[in-house]
Amino acid sequence: MKQLSLMIDLSRCIGCKTCIVACRNFHGLVDYEAALPNEIPFYLRVESKREGVYPEISVNSWVMPCQHCKNAPCIKACKADAITKDPDTGIVRINKEKCAGEKDCIEACPYSVIQFNKQENYAHKCDLCFDLIHAGGIPVCVETCMTDAISFGEKEVLRQRAQDEGKDILKKMSAQSILYVQNPTAS
Amino acid sequence: MKKNGWIPTVCYQCKAECAILVRLEDGCIKEIRGNPKARGKACVKGMAGISLEYDKDRLTRPLKRTGKRGEGKFEPISWDEALNIITDKLKSLKDRGEAHKLTANFFPHSITDPKWRFLDAYGGFINTALPHCDSGKIVACIKTMGGVPNHHIPPAWFTVPKDGIMIMSGRHAFGGLDDASAPGHILDAKARGAKLVVLDPIFTADAAKADWWIPIKPAGDTAFFLGMIQHIIANDLYNKKFIDKWVREGDFNKLKNYIEDKTPEAMSKICDVPAADIKKLATECAKAPSVGVDSFKGIMLGQALDFGHAWTIFLAVTGNIDNPGGQPLPDLTPMTPVEPVPVGPDLNELGWHRTGKDKESFSNYSFIMEPTWYQAQAIKNGDLKVLINSEANPALTEMGHKEWRDAVCMVDDNDEYKLELLVSYEIMLSETSKYADLVLPDKSYFERWELLYMPWWYNFGKGVLLRQPVVEAPGKCRHSNEIFIELGKRLVPEYFTFKDDVEYYDIQLAGLGLSVKKLQDMGGLWSPRTMGFRKYEKNGGFGTPSGKLHLYWEDLEGVNQAMPRPGLAPEYEVNIDKYPFILISYRTIFHAGAGQWTHNNPQLRDTVSGFFENPVLINKSAATKLNIKDGDNVTMSSRTGQIKCKAKLTERIRPDCVGLVHGFGSTVGRTATMGQGVSDNILIPDSGSTLDWQDVVGGESHVSTRVRIEK
Repeated sequence: MKQLSLMIDLSRCIGCKTCIVACRNFHGLVDYEAALPNEIPFYLRVESKREGVYPEISVNSWVMPCQHCKNAPCIKACKADAITKDPDTGIVRINKEKCAGEKDCIEACPYSVIQFNKQENYAHKCDLCFDLIHAGGIPVCVETCMTDAISFGEKEVLRQRAQDEGKDILKKMSAQSILYVQNPTAS
Repeated sequence: MKKNGWIPTVCYQCKAECAILVRLEDGCIKEIRGNPKARGKACVKGMAGISLEYDKDRLTRPLKRTGKRGEGKFEPISWDEALNIITDKLKSLKDRGEAHKLTANFFPHSITDPKWRFLDAYGGFINTALPHCDSGKIVACIKTMGGVPNHHIPPAWFTVPKDGIMIMSGRHAFGGLDDASAPGHILDAKARGAKLVVLDPIFTADAAKADWWIPIKPAGDTAFFLGMIQHIIANDLYNKKFIDKWVREGDFNKLKNYIEDKTPEAMSKICDVPAADIKKLATECAKAPSVGVDSFKGIMLGQALDFGHAWTIFLAVTGNIDNPGGQPLPDLTPMTPVEPVPVGPDLNELGWHRTGKDKESFSNYSFIMEPTWYQAQAIKNGDLKVLINSEANPALTEMGHKEWRDAVCMVDDNDEYKLELLVSYEIMLSETSKYADLVLPDKSYFERWELLYMPWWYNFGKGVLLRQPVVEAPGKCRHSNEIFIELGKRLVPEYFTFKDDVEYYDIQLAGLGLSVKKLQDMGGLWSPRTMGFRKYEKNGGFGTPSGKLHLYWEDLEGVNQAMPRPGLAPEYEVNIDKYPFILISYRTIFHAGAGQWTHNNPQLRDTVSGFFENPVLINKSAATKLNIKDGDNVTMSSRTGQIKCKAKLTERIRPDCVGLVHGFGSTVGRTATMGQGVSDNILIPDSGSTLDWQDVVGGESHVSTRVRIEK
C-alpha cells in the first residue's frame, strides 16, 4: 500500500490555527480585498475536546484536514467521476475540470472537509499539497505549524516513528489515512 | 518592483516583531513564513498579515475632520495641508513654552525610534501605548537587578534543562507576544523533562499543556510568590552561595525579618491556593536546576510594582538570574549614536502624570513612562494640548475609555477643544480616528523601513533585524517615521540633519560595520548568536548602585513598599456584595490589543481561523446558580459601566471570576463591527476620575474590576 499521511500530535497542537491561514494563503483561498469572516473556504480546521469539571479539566486540540479515506465516500458519491484516490500517494483528489458542481461529495463526506466554490461551481479540498510534495516539499500545514505538531511522510513510517517515540496512536481518530497521536497519559 | 521570491523582513502584527519571510509574486504578497535564519516561526496573526495589507478599508489619503470630534466625519486633504496644520500648532505650543504638552502615543520599535527622537528634540513626551503595569515591573527589575528593563524578557525556553521548572504566572505564552517560536520551545523543554506550571484563574492554552495548573485568585501572584519565598527561607532551601555573593549586604536579613509571617498558610488566604501547593512548588523550585518565570503580558497585573519586587526576590533567593533556564539579562546592541543626541524633557519636572489627586504620592516613585491611561486626566488639567497617536487605539484600549472620549471632546469657555490637536496615523479607520482632527494614512509593516535592535520580548543577545519595504504603499500613504522626520526638519532641524530614515539607520549601524544596504544583502539580520550567562560575574556585578542585587528598597520606606506587599489590588475590595465576580480581561493568540490590524482582519475574526466575538466566560456552576444558560444574553455591570453580551458557560475559569477577551467593541471597520464584540474597558474604571491607586502601585484593574451578571 502506498499512502502519504500526516501525523498530528495532540500533545503539541495548541489550537493556534496558524496552519489554517497559511494553507489558505498558499492555496489562494482568500480574496483579500473582499473576504468577510465566516465566508472564507478552509482546507483544515481545529477541533478540540474539553473534559472534566473545574478544577480537574483537560483540553486537547487537533487539526482536521481531509482524511484521504481508504474507501472514500466522496469518490463513490461523485457521479462525474471527478474524484480519485491517487495510486502512488493515496491522496484523494478532486479534478476541477470534471467536477459538475453537484455537491454530492460534500453530502457524502463524513468529515465535512470539502469546500465549494459558488462562483466557479466546483468542489475543492485538501490535496496534501500535491504539487508541492511532488517537487520535494512538505505540506504547508506541516511547514508552518508553530509547535511542530504535524509530521508528514508515508503512513507506515509515521506509525513506526510514533511507536518508537512512545506515542499513543489514537485509533478511533486515525481510522482513515491521517494519524492522531499523543503522549501516553499518566495512569 | 521587487523580484518574485522570498524576502526577509519583520512582522508587526503584534509587538513581538518576529522575523519573517514574505513571498512576492508579480508585486503581490502571497505567503508568509517564519524566517528560518531567525527562529523560523510565524503565528496566525502573522500569516493573516496579507489580509491586512490588501483590505478594502486601507486608508490612502490624509483626512481632516469636518464634524465634531467623535462623529467620524472627514474630508480628504493634501499632505502639505496636514503637515502645515501640525507644524503651525507645534510651533505655537513651543513658543508658548508648552512643548511638554505634546505627547505622542505609540509603541517605540527601539529607543532611537525616529518618533521618539523627535519628541526628545522638540520637548514632548512619549506614551508607550503599553499599560502602566509595564512601568511598574520595569521599575521593579531596575531597582532589584539594575540594567535593562528585563521584565519584557521571558526566560529563553530553548535553554531550559531537564528537570528545569517553567512558571507562567498569569502569562499566556501560547497566546503570543514573546515570539512565535516560544510555544514550540516550551513544548520541546517539556519533552526534555522540564516541568510547566501555570498560575492562572483561566485554564488557558498554556494550562492545557501544563504539568500543573494552579487556578490562583486574580492578583494573588504577589502573595503566592511571597509564600514560596518564606517557605524556601524558613527551610534553608535558598541558594546561599548566590545570596552571599550577589545580594547587597544586610538585604537578606531584612528580607528574612519581613518574610517571617508571610507563611504559605497566611498567603494562601490571600491567593486562594492551598498552602501545601505553595510549599510543594517552592520546594521543587529550590531543588530544580533552573526556574524561569514568565509574567509579562499576563492577567495578574494587579499591583505590578509589588509583584515585580516579589518576582525578582524569588529569582534571587533561588539563584535564577542570567543562568540557562532562568531569567536572562540581555545585552544591548552597541549602535552608533546619531549626534547630536537630543535629551528629552524632565518627566519629574514637567510630566503630566503627576497632576492628578495622587500627585504627592507619585513623587515617591521612579516610573519612567507616563501611564497611558492618564491622558484623560491630563487633558482635563490642561497638561496635554497636542496628542499624536500611531499604531495604538486609545479610544478603545483605555480603561474607562468613555472618560478618554469625553476628555478629548471637552471644550473650554471659548468653545475650543481643550486638547487643541489630535492626530492619528492609521492603516485603516479606527475608534480613535473618529476623534482625530487629522487622520494620516500610515504605511503597513510591509511597506516601510525600520531598524530593530532592542533586547525586549524574545531577544537575548546582541542583534539587529531590518524591516524593509516589500511592496509599495497604496495611494498617498506615508510612514509615521517619515512624517516625524519631516516635522523634525521643520521644527528642530539641528537634530535632523540626516536625509531620511534609511540614512538615520545607516549612521546607527556604522558601529557594527553595517549599513542598511549591507544588512539587506545579508538577509536582513545580524547577530553574533550568543546570549551569554552569568554575565554579571565578568561585568563586576549588576547594574544597581552597589553592583549587588537590592532586595530592600529603602527609597520606598515612606510609602511602605520597601518590601513587596502581599495584598490584592484595592479595586478587589470595592462593593464585594453588589459585584460578586472579578472580571478578567484576557487575550487570545488571534488578536493583539484593540488594534484594527487584527480586529478588522477577516481571517482573524473568522470562526474557523480566528476569534469572532467575545462572549463572557462564566463557570458552569456559578452560571447555574444565576439560571444562566450557554448562549444566553446577559447584562454585565461594574460600578462604572454596563454591557450586554452573550454568556459562554465553561469549566475553564474560577467560579468567582468571569472572563472577557480584550480589544473588541469597535464601531468602525467592515470586519471589526461584525458579531457581538464588546469592550471590556466600558466596565473597567478609569484612572483619572474613579481610581486613584493605580499609578502609585504600577497597577491595572484588568484583573480586579468587580462585576455583576444578570440575565
